[in-house]
Amino acid sequence: MEEVKAKMNSKYYLAWAKDEGIRKKGANGGFVTATLVSALENDFIDVALVVRKKSVYEGIPVLTSDAEVVKECAGSLHGAPINLTKYVVEHAAKKRIGLPTKPCDARGIIEQAKRRQVSLENVFMIGLNCGATLHPLRMREIASYYALDPDSVVREEIKEGKIFLVSEEEGEEKEKWMKIDELEAKGYGRRDACKSCITKIPTMADLACGIWGSNDEKKTFVEVCSEKGGAIFENAVDSGYVEIEEAPEKGIETRQKKEAGMQKRAASWKEKMDEVSGLSRSERFEFYVDALKNCIHCGACKAVCPVCACEEDAKCLEMNDERDSYAISMYNVLRIFHLMDSCIHCGQCEDVCPVDIPLTLIQRRFSERMQHRLRYTPGMDVMEKPPLYETELRWSAKAE
Amino acid sequence: MAEREEWEPKILAFCCNWCSYAGADAAGLERRQVPPTIRVIRVMCSGRIDPAFVLMGLLEGADAVLVTGCHIGDCHYVDANYKTRNRYEFLNEFVDELGLEPERLWLRWISASEGSLFAEMVREVTEKIKRIGPSPLRSEWKK
Repeated sequence: MEEVKAKMNSKYYLAWAKDEGIRKKGANGGFVTATLVSALENDFIDVALVVRKKSVYEGIPVLTSDAEVVKECAGSLHGAPINLTKYVVEHAAKKRIGLPTKPCDARGIIEQAKRRQVSLENVFMIGLNCGATLHPLRMREIASYYALDPDSVVREEIKEGKIFLVSEEEGEEKEKWMKIDELEAKGYGRRDACKSCITKIPTMADLACGIWGSNDEKKTFVEVCSEKGGAIFENAVDSGYVEIEEAPEKGIETRQKKEAGMQKRAASWKEKMDEVSGLSRSERFEFYVDALKNCIHCGACKAVCPVCACEEDAKCLEMNDERDSYAISMYNVLRIFHLMDSCIHCGQCEDVCPVDIPLTLIQRRFSERMQHRLRYTPGMDVMEKPPLYETELRWSAKAE
Repeated sequence: MAEREEWEPKILAFCCNWCSYAGADAAGLERRQVPPTIRVIRVMCSGRIDPAFVLMGLLEGADAVLVTGCHIGDCHYVDANYKTRNRYEFLNEFVDELGLEPERLWLRWISASEGSLFAEMVREVTEKIKRIGPSPLRSEWKK
């Protein structure tokens, strides 16, 4: 035990599950699953929120206190881009929740904590490095493009910049892969929000885990990002669920390089996808009016938004009246306005939009210039209040 | 109906009860010429002006929206006009990104004694708006 304690003074580790079954099922050594199981068994958390794979295109969030269910849900799932924030908000008042989080889940939860919807003391976020998620429909398109039957795809994997799909037809397994860059050049690929996302390593969560920086496919590179994260990590090691070793010096560097490379690509994607930037003022106005006039006011984007905390009596719903026949409805105007300082660019709104309004682009256009001016990045630090709530703006609180 | 010779803009002004509304009053008392383009809404404090009000005014077809209040430090409610200033920054970015001219949104601090300033401001806004024309948000049947 002393030996283990002595090892725990660094911030970076390589870790993997001791249990053979978990290690096999997990994407990179099953560290996340093992940590969740140990936190459950040692009463750090009451329930775990995990995503159960139904098919490669569908995942169902499951709230469970059963370690067996958690073990069943091990493994990555890129084709179900759900954001777990709202589920956490719903349940974290009564229970302590542990969950794996993509960067946008973690940022959403932190934004909700700023709005007093959830107490971070009750939430244990095990962050996962995230290169991208895919919209299920786009994933089916890729399967067809690979000349596979979309319905018979049984496994998917994103590795080293390639998308692998494995289908099972008449008992025969077929594996096909292609580079993401090539796919995206042809118009297939990741969600728009993911293409231009620059938050790849969730250092705002309690632990940040991923394959980047690890020298073995079955070992996860773990960064301990908070005291809480340290506690569950230590617990997982102490109770024998997880084995660790010191992270190699080179690994830390590789991980940073990998992230920087992805950020660079994201920046160029952002530029490429921004069809508004070249337009004149009046053309821009036309574009927004044109894009938003299709809105049917179903409220799905608000319901799914990980930042929005207003529930039913929200201003954007109360002040909206479709009989007004405004060029842009109050609902859209207020939603865009309210997200100017806090949009985390997760793209959930576009995913659920039944009339395919390019909301990722619109929200990004409006919010990014304000966030840039304020030098404020939402969802990073729970102590930073949303600027719209402040009495005075602090334009230059942080150095450039 | 006789055709109007010149197009007159419609300008919406939010005035706080303690300073700028009294300022508008002073402009009248001093017999200053204020263009009839302005529609004043009195609020108890400029901090009461929800950005939604301003946005709704623009959507309703106002050619410009003026937000006025007490000078910084003079607020009847201590620091509420700091909040106004904060929200104005957001509104400004919003209006600019939406593709409306930045001249359609104004923030001015006017005290109760500054009747001349109020009249001058309305003249200035009216002149500017006349130059850039009606708001593109104005719907067809409201023109």
